[in-house]
Amino acid sequence: MTAVQINSLTLGYPGGTIAVNDLSLEVKQGEIFGLLGLNGAGKSSLIKGVATLMRPSAGHVRVFGLDACRQSAAVKRRIGVMPQENNLDIHLNVRQNLLFHCRYAAMPAKVAEYRIDKWLSILDLSGKAKEAVLHLSGGTKRKVMLAKAFITEPELLVLDEPSAGLDPGIRSSLWEQVRIFRQQGGTVFLSTHYLEEAEALCDRVGILHRGRLAKSFCIAARAARFTPGVLAQAFEGATGEVQ
Amino acid sequence: MNFILALLHRNLIANMASVKLTLSRTVVQPTIYLLVFGHIIGRMIPGSASYSAVMAPGMIAIAAFSAPLVTISGYILPGYFFRTLEAWLLAPVPLRTIFIAMVISGTFSGIANSIVVALIAWLVLGLVPVNFLTLVLVVAAGSLLFSLFTLTVLLLPARPDKGQEVLSFLMMPMTFFGCTFYSLDMLEPQFRYFALLFPTTYISEGLRAAYAPAAPHLDLPMVLTGFAVATILLLPLADFAFRRRLGHFTW
Repeated sequence: MTAVQINSLTLGYPGGTIAVNDLSLEVKQGEIFGLLGLNGAGKSSLIKGVATLMRPSAGHVRVFGLDACRQSAAVKRRIGVMPQENNLDIHLNVRQNLLFHCRYAAMPAKVAEYRIDKWLSILDLSGKAKEAVLHLSGGTKRKVMLAKAFITEPELLVLDEPSAGLDPGIRSSLWEQVRIFRQQGGTVFLSTHYLEEAEALCDRVGILHRGRLAKSFCIAARAARFTPGVLAQAFEGATGEVQ
Repeated sequence: MNFILALLHRNLIANMASVKLTLSRTVVQPTIYLLVFGHIIGRMIPGSASYSAVMAPGMIAIAAFSAPLVTISGYILPGYFFRTLEAWLLAPVPLRTIFIAMVISGTFSGIANSIVVALIAWLVLGLVPVNFLTLVLVVAAGSLLFSLFTLTVLLLPARPDKGQEVLSFLMMPMTFFGCTFYSLDMLEPQFRYFALLFPTTYISEGLRAAYAPAAPHLDLPMVLTGFAVATILLLPLADFAFRRRLGHFTW
C-alpha cells in the first residue's frame, strides 16, 4: 500500500519562487524514505507539502489515499511531524508542550499522561519536564520536538532534518526510535543533510536538486552490495556538489 | 470543540505565567484611570457625577477592545516569531476550527476583562449598569468585532510584524476619537460623523446606554446596526486573511 503519493507537485512561495517543481514520487507503507539535497533544493518545502502546511500550486499530495490539501485534518490525524525549526510554545514548559499537543489531538487525558511519561523517559527528558522551553539547549528542544512527533502514535512520521544540531549520542537514540517505529509498521518520510544518516536509516532515498527529483534509488534492496561512498557518488552526480 | 477548549486553557496558562503583566493590564491600569479621571478629576469638574458616568463606560469599552487585541496578537506575533503557529496548524483540526478558536478566545478575554473593569468601576465610583443585558451584548459584540479586526490587520499584510505597525498606528485614533473619554453628544456635529467611523464609538456609546440610559448617547438600534455592519464586513475579511496566510504556510 502507498503511504505517500506525490504527483506532478509544484510548490511556490509568494513572490514567485518555485521551491518544488513538477515532482512525482511514491513512498510505500513501512518504508523509510530519505530526501537528500543541498540547501534550497526544496526539501523543507516538500516536507511542508506532505505535512499539509503548504498548498500545491499544481499537482497533488496524497497521504494514505487522502488529499493533503482537501482532507488535511484527516491527514494530520495520521501523521507526526517534526519541522526543521523549533515550534515549541514559549509560554509552556516541556510537559505542558507535550500535554497541549495531545489535547489539540483530542487525546484522552489518561492516555496523554501515560504517553508523556513514556516519551519523557525514552528521550531522557524526565528531569526537564517542568523547565520552560526558552531555557532549554537546542538539542533538548529538538528532543521535545521529536517526542511531539511520536506521541500521537502516527502511521507516518514526517521529519525535517531530525538530527540537525544533535550530538552523536542523541542522534543514535533518534535513529533507534525511528527503526523501532518502522519495525512496528510505521512509515517515515525524512529529509537530511547527512549522507551517513540516509545510509544508516533509509530504505530508499531521493536526491532533490533545484526543486526536482534528480535521482531516486533503493538502498535496502541492494544492502548486501551497498558500499559506503555509493550514495556520495550519486549525490555528486545529481547535484554537482561534493559532500 | 476539544481544540477550542485546549487553546482557551493554554491562553489561561500563558496569562498566569505572566501574572504581573496580566494584573497590571487588567486591574492596575483601569483602577488608576478610574481613580484619577473618574474620581479625582471628575470631582474637580462641575457636575462631576455625570462625568464619571460618561468616562467609566469608556474605560470598560477600552477593556472590551484592548483585551482581544492583546489576546489575538499574543497568538499571531509570538506564533510568527517563535513558530507556534506552525504547531497549531499541525493540530488535526480544520483550519476554520483554529480560526474560530482564536476568535472565541479573543472574545472571551474581552468579556472577562470588561467584567473586571465594570467591577472596579462599581468599587471606585459606585457605578452599576442599569441595563445589564445591554452591557453584556455590547461587550460581547465589541470583543468579537475587535478579535476579527486584530486578525485582519495582523494577517492581511505580508508579515504580522507589518500588521503590528498598522495596528499601533490605528489604535491611538480609535481610542481617543472613539468617544472613550467623552460622549458623542459632547462633540460638534461635524466631528460626530468622523467619530462614527470608528467601531470604538459604538462600544463606548453602547455601554453608556447600559449605564445611563437617561443621559445622551447613541441610540441602541444605531449601536447594534454599527456592530452588525462592521461584523459583516470584517468576518469574511478576517476569514480570507487567515486562510490566505495560514492555509498556505510559507513563513
